[in-house]
Amino acid sequence: MITLKRLGTAVAMTALLATGALAEGLYAPNLAYRTGPFAATGIPLMNGQKDYMELLNARDGGIGGILIDFDECETGYSTEKGVECYEKTKGQAIVTQPWSTGITLQVLPKTNVDQIPILAPGYGFSPMADGKVFQWAFNIPLSYWDGASILLKYLEEQGDLSGKKIAFLHLDHPFGKEPLPFMEQEAEKKGFELLPIPVGLKEMQNQSAQWLQIRRERPDYVIMWGWGAMNAGAITEAVKTKFPMENMLGVWWAGHDADLKLVGEDGRGYKSVSWSFPNPDAPIMADLKTHVVDPGKTQSDAEEMSGVFYSRGLVISMILGEGIRVAQEHAGTPEITPADLRWGLENLDITEARLEELGMTGMVPPFKTSCANHTGHSGGWILEWDGAKFVKATNLIMPDAEAIAPLEAQAAKDYAEANAPWPANDACQM
Amino acid sequence: MLYRTAGQFKTSYKADMALFPVRQDAVLLAVILALVWGVFPLLASEFAFQTLLIPILIYALAALGLNILTGYAGQLSLGTGAFMGVGAYACYKMVTLFPWMNPVVAILLSGLFSAGVGVMFGIPSLRIKGFYLAIATLAAQFFLVWLFEKWGWLYNDNASGAIQVPNLDMFGIYVAGPQASSLVQYYVVLAVVTLMTLLCINLTRGNLGRTWKATRDMDIAAELIGINLLRSKLMAFAVSSYVVGVAGALFVFMWRGAAEPNLFDIPLSFRVLFIAIIGGLGSILGNYLGAILIVGLPVVLNTLPQALGLPISSATVEHLNVMIVGALIVFFLIIEPHGLARLWALIREKLIIWPFPH
Amino acid sequence: MLNDIFIKPFADMAAAPDFLLQVLWEGLVSGILYALIALGFVLIYRSSRIFNFAQGIMVVFAALTLVGLHALGIPAWISVALTLAVMFALAVTIERVVLRPLVGQPDIILFMATIGITLFLIGGGEIIFGGENKVMITEELGIPTGSVLLEPWGGLLILEQKDITAVLVAAALVVALLVFLNRTRMGRAIRALGDDHQAALSVGISLQTVWVLVWFIAGIIALVTGIAWGARAGVSFALEVIAYKALPVLMLGGLESITGAIIGGLMIGMLEKLFEIYWGQPLLGGNTETWFAFVLALVVLLFRPQGLFGERIIERV
Repeated sequence: MITLKRLGTAVAMTALLATGALAEGLYAPNLAYRTGPFAATGIPLMNGQKDYMELLNARDGGIGGILIDFDECETGYSTEKGVECYEKTKGQAIVTQPWSTGITLQVLPKTNVDQIPILAPGYGFSPMADGKVFQWAFNIPLSYWDGASILLKYLEEQGDLSGKKIAFLHLDHPFGKEPLPFMEQEAEKKGFELLPIPVGLKEMQNQSAQWLQIRRERPDYVIMWGWGAMNAGAITEAVKTKFPMENMLGVWWAGHDADLKLVGEDGRGYKSVSWSFPNPDAPIMADLKTHVVDPGKTQSDAEEMSGVFYSRGLVISMILGEGIRVAQEHAGTPEITPADLRWGLENLDITEARLEELGMTGMVPPFKTSCANHTGHSGGWILEWDGAKFVKATNLIMPDAEAIAPLEAQAAKDYAEANAPWPANDACQM
Repeated sequence: MLYRTAGQFKTSYKADMALFPVRQDAVLLAVILALVWGVFPLLASEFAFQTLLIPILIYALAALGLNILTGYAGQLSLGTGAFMGVGAYACYKMVTLFPWMNPVVAILLSGLFSAGVGVMFGIPSLRIKGFYLAIATLAAQFFLVWLFEKWGWLYNDNASGAIQVPNLDMFGIYVAGPQASSLVQYYVVLAVVTLMTLLCINLTRGNLGRTWKATRDMDIAAELIGINLLRSKLMAFAVSSYVVGVAGALFVFMWRGAAEPNLFDIPLSFRVLFIAIIGGLGSILGNYLGAILIVGLPVVLNTLPQALGLPISSATVEHLNVMIVGALIVFFLIIEPHGLARLWALIREKLIIWPFPH
Repeated sequence: MLNDIFIKPFADMAAAPDFLLQVLWEGLVSGILYALIALGFVLIYRSSRIFNFAQGIMVVFAALTLVGLHALGIPAWISVALTLAVMFALAVTIERVVLRPLVGQPDIILFMATIGITLFLIGGGEIIFGGENKVMITEELGIPTGSVLLEPWGGLLILEQKDITAVLVAAALVVALLVFLNRTRMGRAIRALGDDHQAALSVGISLQTVWVLVWFIAGIIALVTGIAWGARAGVSFALEVIAYKALPVLMLGGLESITGAIIGGLMIGMLEKLFEIYWGQPLLGGNTETWFAFVLALVVLLFRPQGLFGERIIERV
């Protein structure tokens, strides 16, 4: 009897869910993680994303006159939970924001069947840039391969790379391994020695073995592809082992203010590539204060709001918001479908002028997407830790498109073949 | 009343030892089978398939495998997740190396690989006992997950290090991969799970099962009455790992669609262990009850605040979830250490003699 | 290949002795921390035959409480005292709510109950303290933060002062514990209870008091571990995973032996680091630290099923 009763409840709950979740507005769920070992780096991003949508709802009444129902589904960075969230939300959602390379990879093949766009700004699977193959996936404005390329270009500006040794300290996880194919290709071409050093999920906070290896191998540079607790662990170890900080660089997810504040002055010179930057004087920050902070709708605080990650959260929601706006204009109705949103995300043109209208000048480089280019390849800045905060150390650096494009096309083709039958977007003539 | 046994006479030993000595059990089972084979698939939504029906069946199967080892043969194992991984990776290699292979056959064969690995890590059980053995199985857990990460051949050297289930079809219908429908996957899982359950029920009731129980209750005594401990323990590891491996292959191929190595890490092992223990060690039914509770509870908890309109953030819900699962484990252990299966057995006893309790 | 396994690693060691020393020192420091966690396990196991899986989360919980209290503006040392009070309250609660109703249940049931406690504390801790990484209040507690640079054989050896402090504090803690267990009345009661429950009860030792006491001591050890480890890598829930490392230490050292926990911890800390640096990274692609300790312990157990220092298992039919 218990079995029956339990199953009965379960089925009843399901029925309840199917009818109960219909809220007003456009449902844009975020597969957030405010728990677990990656929460530290996740929370400011999630706060930024949420606050931006709160701002649109409070100030403009949503987008195009329709409220955005921005909801979080907690994953704890666990792929399993993420997929559960995806299944739970996909019925009503116009977009899925998977927030982890692992979840992205898992959800990616399903989106073709479910016809729902994946928005993975600055993460996910680099070949997603090929919009003809990955019709429903977007990693605007930069892919990991772009990021690796920008870092290498910056290092080349400091001196010829041939004969140099670059240690690639990465999380042993799909996210950390993403840039490896590109780095290997470049190592061969540019003649530097690539030394991949994986950090297991269990060792994120105790990287003494990795840093002993770095001390033994004496690399010229360390490029870090870290996330969550790994970054703080690596930066403190680097300081401890007296690795010259100016020769250590990280991906944009390894440029979190709080991680560097742990070491403060000792971290001076550490660099991170970024496609977003906080601008405390931007009009949007003032608007946020009036419409979101003062009414007490934020979970953030002043210190966090001045950081790189919070402002990146704002940019990510801006990308979604602009996608919705463009889609609404194209569809001629505010009540857009996931397919409309896909069109919107494929036809983004974020210019300096548009950024000024949004009140976000200097917070993200301009970029433009198309049906063939789902990334936009905006380019990025190198940020440098000055002992108290991140500052822009360079002008915008563009990724080496010539080196990336063939690799992207090949990887996309391989993916489609491995997942045959895989529908390609042949209508796209670009 | 429903369960009154009056009028059911057993006239032979065979009748007394039959699978269903009480006729109502058979009826109840028939009703449940009709529900899971006929009614649920018609009613269930995509969400119900993906978050309840399929995972409950797969987790129950994994717990069943663990239960054979821990509940029947008395060897505590904390490495279930890794053995599920062996099944999943073996299945992945088979379907990518031999694309013509029938996916269900591949799933059933993949269990053999995990059985082999299981026996290898089972050898120390001949000398190591109790908690020492439990920690020893953690060696399998950590070593295998490390191997899944480092051995590129296992995941065909793809860049992300994750395995992705290709589209696989059987008689023209997709059964695995993104193109497969949940309904088809549900039936495949259900068929495999039903088959495995039947197999396990018969194994545990037969000669081998009695050998295991003797080993569990006191292995030295068992040895003295002529049981070959080597054979008994290693068979338990082999059968258990086989079932767990099949569950692992189903887990990835019929449900998740892709997997990265740390999916098979220790939280998965613990999850399966919770199911086996809360359901009841040494019971087959318990695995299903435990899986329904452990898989179903978080889903229900997640939807509750939304349904009631409580303004709790999803992060807090998740934390509460973890807390409640923890508290429930303690609670169940205190009220019924032998698990839900024993609870059901008690209720059934009461029902049989109701309304005359004396 | 043979050369890579048997000759080259030793040649490397000889070529850079300062580096070898550094490797051993890093291993020693992590070994001390493994030993401390294992010590918490051993104490509880000895007195109650409970394999306390929650020791790892108690480390996190203690460290978070300390940092959280200090963040409220309470001076560092008063925070320490308050944290100890919290750990005491936790010990009492666990004994009352969980252990008392489970007295006499099989080992595996008690083990599962501690996993339940672990989950409860993880969920509760995240609600109270939040999930983000926090900085241990190292300086406020008067722990030196600089590093000592030595130059043996013209090389370089970096010893962090907080690591030195951790080693010294751990040593002092172990000595204090040994004195307590061997020289005081309460300590003897704990050991008596471990040897034989019923005999101890019949001579008037209170099970409840002793259990609260051992869980509290385990809480103190957790706090010390939390401070030492937190000073190295910050305080967050990711710390919990280091608790797994204490398990092979227990296997190696024996579940009942305090000496075993310490020697086992140091051995595992140093050997896994040596193996990782000289064999794991060059030959196996690194990250061998996740399993090396377990496999080592497994091999040792095949020869000594009760661990190196465990009590001989005598089985009767």
